[in-house]
Amino acid sequence: MEYKAPVETYSGKVAEVVIGKSDKAIKIGGESVLPFHFFEGAIQNRPKLALELWDIDPAGWAEWVREPYKDVLADPVAWAKKALDYGADSICLRLMSTDPAGNNASADKAAATVKKVVDSVKAPVIIYGCGDEAKDVEVLTQVAAACSGEKLLIGPVVKENFEPISKAAIDHGHSIIAQTPIDINLEKELNVKLLKTVPPDRIVIDPLSSALGYGMEYSFTIMERTKHIGIMFGDNTMQMPVIADLGNENWKTKQAKVSKEQGILWESVAAVSLLLAGANLAVVRHPDSCKYMKEVIEGKL
Amino acid sequence: MVLIGESIHIISKDVNEAVKNRDPMVIQDLAKKQTAAGADYIDINLGPAKKDPEETTRWLVETIQAVTDLPLSVDTLNSVAMEAGLKAATKKRPLLNSSSGKAVSKEKMLPLAKKYNTDVVISVITDKGCPPDIDSRTESIMETVALANEMGIPNEDIWVDPIILPVSADQKQVAEAGDFIAILADLLPGVKSTIGLSNVSNGTPDHLRGILNRTYMVMLGRRGLYSAIADVLDPELIALNQGKMPKIVDLIYKTMDGEEIPLSSLSKQEQDYVKTAKVLTGKTLYSHAWLEM
Repeated sequence: MEYKAPVETYSGKVAEVVIGKSDKAIKIGGESVLPFHFFEGAIQNRPKLALELWDIDPAGWAEWVREPYKDVLADPVAWAKKALDYGADSICLRLMSTDPAGNNASADKAAATVKKVVDSVKAPVIIYGCGDEAKDVEVLTQVAAACSGEKLLIGPVVKENFEPISKAAIDHGHSIIAQTPIDINLEKELNVKLLKTVPPDRIVIDPLSSALGYGMEYSFTIMERTKHIGIMFGDNTMQMPVIADLGNENWKTKQAKVSKEQGILWESVAAVSLLLAGANLAVVRHPDSCKYMKEVIEGKL
Repeated sequence: MVLIGESIHIISKDVNEAVKNRDPMVIQDLAKKQTAAGADYIDINLGPAKKDPEETTRWLVETIQAVTDLPLSVDTLNSVAMEAGLKAATKKRPLLNSSSGKAVSKEKMLPLAKKYNTDVVISVITDKGCPPDIDSRTESIMETVALANEMGIPNEDIWVDPIILPVSADQKQVAEAGDFIAILADLLPGVKSTIGLSNVSNGTPDHLRGILNRTYMVMLGRRGLYSAIADVLDPELIALNQGKMPKIVDLIYKTMDGEEIPLSSLSKQEQDYVKTAKVLTGKTLYSHAWLEM
């Protein structure tokens, strides 16, 4: 008798989120099987990769992360183009200039920068605010309005500020990043609240990505559980794609700053782990990490 | 279900003040209210009782016994306070609350239950902490109960406490606690059981705690739970316990059995109980917004 391996089928399906308009668009999510379980069913949208850039010269970055961008670090438009030349599917622009504890640049200025970048690149754009709950409301609502119709992915929205940001984002045709502090119950709570006004195909979950050696396994577990609960158990408040915004934390570690080789490995191991846990979109910093992840996703490694 | 009123608790600011000032009013008022509400026991939770343990406990017991005929549950981890409380609780046979599988508890608390001929709560906690699953809970309780039996405490006087964790912290263990309660009758014939019911909603926003407590009481009652330390000043909890809300009980049972009940056919109150039972059985992931879905 011929042996046939048992294949699981699941009740849940992750929403498909589109980032970028018309020919720039990429799709993430949409799967109804667990991450990389190609034997269980089709995964139409393989995970996507974004390279991270800042709207100010990132003085504290390790020299080997600065090096690939050394001519463009003060120019977000040129930087964005270069990142795309390195093979990223999209770019993730972090508006660090707006940080009240740093340059405290105005929302107007930040929104103008975003608009310039969006108009200059042929790829979808992810925008992260500086992470200050109050300032992010000002900045991200302006960004949403300035880039109306561009289908950006905008975040983070958190428990304290989700209402104004998600409203502006949805009014102007964007999607949002729902961020919670590595806690499955708080993640669900924010989703439940968002889903009252935001459709699931406009939300991407950011459960926070800790660095390798600094709690990455917690992030792994939360992403894995998100997929289990959404796909296996069919909980429709947990069926949104997941973003692993991991470059930021991994390049803060002293291990990543030891050498170029170790830094890239540090970031890449974290990235491949979180992709296996279920991330649909990974944000990395070094072009080599992006290249390696692309090979993993395309099945070359 | 036998209900032990939880309101006289040293964590409460009013109670703490009253004990400090030896002011009987607040304490007696709570005792009377809980008695009138339908409590079967009055819990006296002294916490660690570091200052004047003997005198404080004796005063509290006498103050409460002056206004109620209910038996008392003397609730402290301090064996000196415990002994003083049991000695003073002469009106009705008291409940020693609680002992555990910890070495110090076996040595200091359990003998008091024998000496004063009380009922005794024995929890599954050991020196290693709270056992994480049914097997380790079973192992712990079998050992401690065997020791109690050797001391001459019969199973009938023992109330096993499986230790309930907050649903916001460990949903899986909350869902499994019923299985442990259900096997107790086979494991240790004759033993009773009790839980700190309100602990299931610890960490949940205050205005949402009641429905978690009430639903969980009904669920564990179905699995054979004998008693609970609970908020007896919640009239809905009392009504459920007295069988006055049969439709709600039926909906909770159906949800436990995995029946899908169309929510649109239910009132808001009924929907909330079904949603809560789904969370407490582990069928849906808990979040503070579980009633908003």
